[in-house]
Amino acid sequence: MRVIEAVMASLIVVSAISFLYLFAGTPSSQPQETSELEKLGHNVLHDIDEQRLLARFVYGSEWQNLTSALVVSFPTNVYFNLSIYDADGNPISHPQIQYGDQQVFASSKSVTSVTYILPGYQTNYTPRILVLKLVRG
Amino acid sequence: MRIVRAKKGQFIIIAAMLLSIMIISISTVIYGTVTYYRQERWEEYVTVLDSIRTSSQNVLQIALANYSKTSNPNVLRDYLNQWIRDVRKAYPGFGVDLSFSLAQGVHFAYGVSVNYNLGLARTWNQPLSFSASNATLNLDLASVGLTGYNFSSHVFLKMRIRGAEWYSKESKRYVSIYVSVEKEGSDPVNNLQKSNFADIKLDGVSSTFSVKRYYSSTYSSLIYEIRVNSIGAKPLTAEITLVDTRGIQTVSYTDNVLQNSD
Repeated sequence: MRVIEAVMASLIVVSAISFLYLFAGTPSSQPQETSELEKLGHNVLHDIDEQRLLARFVYGSEWQNLTSALVVSFPTNVYFNLSIYDADGNPISHPQIQYGDQQVFASSKSVTSVTYILPGYQTNYTPRILVLKLVRG
Repeated sequence: MRIVRAKKGQFIIIAAMLLSIMIISISTVIYGTVTYYRQERWEEYVTVLDSIRTSSQNVLQIALANYSKTSNPNVLRDYLNQWIRDVRKAYPGFGVDLSFSLAQGVHFAYGVSVNYNLGLARTWNQPLSFSASNATLNLDLASVGLTGYNFSSHVFLKMRIRGAEWYSKESKRYVSIYVSVEKEGSDPVNNLQKSNFADIKLDGVSSTFSVKRYYSSTYSSLIYEIRVNSIGAKPLTAEITLVDTRGIQTVSYTDNVLQNSD
């Protein structure tokens, strides 16, 4: 009789542990992927800014140079789309600054968005907010 | 037939059930604690922090460039006040709260004594001239519970006339002015072009000139040699206006032009 009770007790403990496993899902790689792209995007913008090129491209409307700088800075399998806004969030008119198949942005679940703010250029304070969307192709 | 109930066996089952409840409860708490920190957007917070810090430094640069052109003493304070509002708008949802204090009074930095007023200072028309800005910023990110993150931003441009000589050899007469240029961190500025030297005046008269850059063992420094040709007589004074790639201006002046007949 005690053997049967011991078996029942073991079953209860095992059932409890199995019940926990149902809820303890393995961590998804998606947040990590998004985090890495975020870091990469910020580092690229920061590096171009450190070279004093980012402000020159944005305020000097050198869109082609800006696109080229971003293309050479990112790995080839990272697609991007850059939008520029003023301090009030109004979009600044510019040609499309993008690379890669833009359909991937709609289909992918791990699109990363990096916000970078430029306060101005030379003597003029005229902030521009750069929103860089990134996805792996 | 009478069924015999073993009381000790029931105790084991009850103990097992209690143990199971404990395991489930403790595991739930541990799992919740671990996943809470894993799900926080730490990388995003760090990038926002870094971006605000870098851009704030740029605000000081822009303000100093403006001050060196317009002499408006309030420009840094005005720009930073505007910056505080714009940063909040750029990062909605982060609870960004930025405040600042401007350097005031005499500070010793980069080998010179800098007398700040509202975070800005300049000493011009001397052999060693400079323009400087200095502010301390305090950043809070309410969304992540970060408060009291302080950082200091300095922007500095220093030009020193190391020597000015009038060379007079037969028909070849010219003036050479040797200058060194440094920015914050006492780093030599090595990317200046002729266009960065906005004006060279000898005895108050603007002159055409050429610029050479090289390392001088005489001065143990990277030197810009500014040469003005076709000078008939030895000038008494030389004045150099420099605008660096950031748009920051400084003006050096010397009344010690030596004659070199070697």
